[in-house]
Amino acid sequence: MKKGEKSQIEKAKKNPEAFSELYDKYYSQIFGYVLKRVANLEIAQDVTSDTFLKALKNLWQFRWRNVPFSCWLYRIANNEIVNYFRKRKGGWVSLEKISEPVSSSNPQLEFAEAEAELEKHQEFLKAQKKILKLPFKYQEVITLRFFEKKQIKEIAEILGKKEGTIKSLLHRGLEKLKEEFPETL
Amino acid sequence: MRFIYMENDDLAKKLEKISLPEIELQSHKTKLRLLLMEKYSPEKKRREIFGILNKLIPATAFAIILLFIFFNKRGFQTDNLARAKEIALQNTEIKNWVEEGATIKDVQIVDGKAYVLIEPAETAEVSVIKETSEEPPAVNLKSGGTFQENVETKESFKGAVAEVNIKEKKISNIEKLAPTVTGLIEKKKEKTLEIANNSTKIQEVVPKEAEVLDISVTVPKFKLSKEGGSILVLPETETEERASIIYKSDGKRWEGKINLNKEEVEEVKSIKDINNSATPENPGR
Repeated sequence: MKKGEKSQIEKAKKNPEAFSELYDKYYSQIFGYVLKRVANLEIAQDVTSDTFLKALKNLWQFRWRNVPFSCWLYRIANNEIVNYFRKRKGGWVSLEKISEPVSSSNPQLEFAEAEAELEKHQEFLKAQKKILKLPFKYQEVITLRFFEKKQIKEIAEILGKKEGTIKSLLHRGLEKLKEEFPETL
Repeated sequence: MRFIYMENDDLAKKLEKISLPEIELQSHKTKLRLLLMEKYSPEKKRREIFGILNKLIPATAFAIILLFIFFNKRGFQTDNLARAKEIALQNTEIKNWVEEGATIKDVQIVDGKAYVLIEPAETAEVSVIKETSEEPPAVNLKSGGTFQENVETKESFKGAVAEVNIKEKKISNIEKLAPTVTGLIEKKKEKTLEIANNSTKIQEVVPKEAEVLDISVTVPKFKLSKEGGSILVLPETETEERASIIYKSDGKRWEGKINLNKEEVEEVKSIKDINNSATPENPGR
């Protein structure tokens, strides 16, 4: 599995089609993660776009170190989220100029439906609103652990930290979340 | 503490149970794919150029460092060479030689010590005078190849090597090259005589009873050579070595020009009568 992914990445460095396959494989995962971090469809679209553009730019520097490609993408996404909140939008790649592909779906309608779908998850939106007030290091571990359902080991791989550090960050993150909002979620 | 952990666990359980949105925006996915495909080729090209530069930069940096070390070392060595010359020239004996026309020909540095080769003033040829059979042959210097007769035998400067301690700024030893020079001249003289004696050219022109009046050989020049961490004083071998031999018989004189490298007599000619002129007909040759 990992060996196959390694060769797929090497192909992606030479062939745009292979890169397109990697994109298709990981788009939903990354978009889903970003959405769970930012709880906003527009921001999630922008951050996801920038994540994949950064991945394309740095693809040739990617060296296989027995860490899944998805971990690398998660790491880029984390950086882009931090960048977004620090810069508060601006300099984002606009997809407006890209001509609309021939499709039976209506983008506006699709977006409205997606927003309606997001609105249905009020409990998630409330929780994420509180999580967003925590420092980034706690936001990352809490979202990855409880919303992405990642194991401690996977989180450690994504964030490039030791498992013990992740456990401690999770513990302190939950403490902070509890302290700041003592009332029930 | 246990209570706090329990609370954390409760919070964790609550977070885990939250229903999460599973949203996918197909239009965004398609648009982004198009953008990525548009950017793929330029990015690849940029990467290729960057890759070449990436390989060139360390190589260039390495070359610059090497050049820097080379020139720095050279500069340092040049400094030491100049310093060694300066120290040598402060020595009274060397100073006197230089005032008489000697020059510092070469300086080499080995193990923090400099070796300075001092060469005497123009001494193109040495004349080995053999005026009469009663008198022993003497070695006299004559400058610029001009023939000089009956020059008094005297101890003259024939070159020296000074060992300079750069750190202590003093001369540790001066070795004169006179014995070496005399030995080499003697060898050249013998060789010249041997070639002349065996030459049919000379036998055809010069009568058998003629005696050798003079032999002129070029003064050996020296150079310093570094070998295995030590300095050697070697005779220069680049130039062609020539000698001339003068015969006298019944008031007549003959001159033979000999190429010592080729071991052959190049020319034999008669020169003016000893009573009429002290110089050969063609002194420049």
